[in-house]
Amino acid sequence: MNGATEHEGMLDLVAVAALGALPAADLRFVTLHLAACAECRAEYDALRPAADAVGLIAEEPVDTLRSARMKKRLLAAIAPTANARRAPASGGLIWSSSLVAAAAVVFALVSTVQDIRLRSDLANAQRATSQLQTRVAETQRTNENERDMLADLFAAKAKRYTVADGEVVARGSHVYFALRALPALPKGKVYQAWTLAKGAKTVAPSVTFTPNASGSAVVQLPADAAALAAVALTVEPEGGSKAPTSKPTFIQPLS
Amino acid sequence: MGREARVVMEDGARLMERVRAGDGTAFERLYDSYHRLVFGIALRMLGDATMAEDLTQNVFLKVWSSPDAFRDGNFGAWIARVARNRSLDVLRSRSLRDESEIPADLAEPGTLDDAVFTRLDSQRVRSALATLPDEQRSPIEMGFFGGITHDEIAKRTGIPLGTIKTRIRTGLRKLRVELDGAVSR
Repeated sequence: MNGATEHEGMLDLVAVAALGALPAADLRFVTLHLAACAECRAEYDALRPAADAVGLIAEEPVDTLRSARMKKRLLAAIAPTANARRAPASGGLIWSSSLVAAAAVVFALVSTVQDIRLRSDLANAQRATSQLQTRVAETQRTNENERDMLADLFAAKAKRYTVADGEVVARGSHVYFALRALPALPKGKVYQAWTLAKGAKTVAPSVTFTPNASGSAVVQLPADAAALAAVALTVEPEGGSKAPTSKPTFIQPLS
Repeated sequence: MGREARVVMEDGARLMERVRAGDGTAFERLYDSYHRLVFGIALRMLGDATMAEDLTQNVFLKVWSSPDAFRDGNFGAWIARVARNRSLDVLRSRSLRDESEIPADLAEPGTLDDAVFTRLDSQRVRSALATLPDEQRSPIEMGFFGGITHDEIAKRTGIPLGTIKTRIRTGLRKLRVELDGAVSR
């Protein structure tokens, strides 16, 4: 495959990324490429709004009861923080006071019998719902972190430092290694990142990682980019080292 | 419906300005206008009305608690993408599908949205999509609403992966041209 054909293939991948139909590993790869290729970036910027517009066709009729129930639930949830009054409901049937009283008695009788049976069902359902909500919230947090990371890597204003196997990217307080084609690791070894704080004389150990099969890895370093003078990468035994034990793959000052 | 939808889509960004100030009435109107869209996406992706209802609740609570997440552009397209990404989260968290089949997405639009599309509505998008041949429209709709990756689209349709990618790109480019024409008319 020649370079032009390869680039056409990359433009196809960029379109799939704009649609949001790439697996996470491919998306990271495309994100790295977008950061360095103006043509692909322009293609992404042109296609993404068109892809977003596709969602607009999904409007679905919602039956009146469901719609009212959903709205009631939602408004009840935001009520404590809403600072504006909603207009009171208008119209509706006006009940006489005796009819209201009779209805209340019947309702109370039926409710008492049903309450006993429903209470245990409700408790079980609430436990199950609570567990599911916890799982959904955890997954959302993970995915939001991942999206934030991709947004940092993709940002036009991020600082990028080219290293032998990719880039070190710094945006705000965040710093990342976005590496491709890393040499395969010997058995029992991992890559380890190192940070040198401003004014420090020795490096501090940071995260260890293993790239994917094609040698790519995107890693966020748990450090404040603004406080760092340099970062480095070495190959270390599994579990990491307290001080570098091999020649650095790269050392990159952060200006 | 087309006429009603057009009014709806134009109001979203303006309503969000009031929602940012904590205006519950504006939020209620926003919900009235857009809950069918959010519910529709969740229902298509999750295939379960109760889950779609919960997701709709979740998306609108997020809009209320983090209104600054929407910055500008087409509110309908933005909230559609939010609903889609939350649906993908649910597919992952409930193991409703193999993890490798579920796509990832870049940050939600708002910074990436194109101001020229602010006036778009569902009718215009439907018309523009209808101009694409089935072979391009189908993978685009599967990719957006199916909650599956391009590899999975290729597997399910029996069409080579390279062809699927090219059709998605060609289709999106045509769609972009059609939508550009629609908003400038």
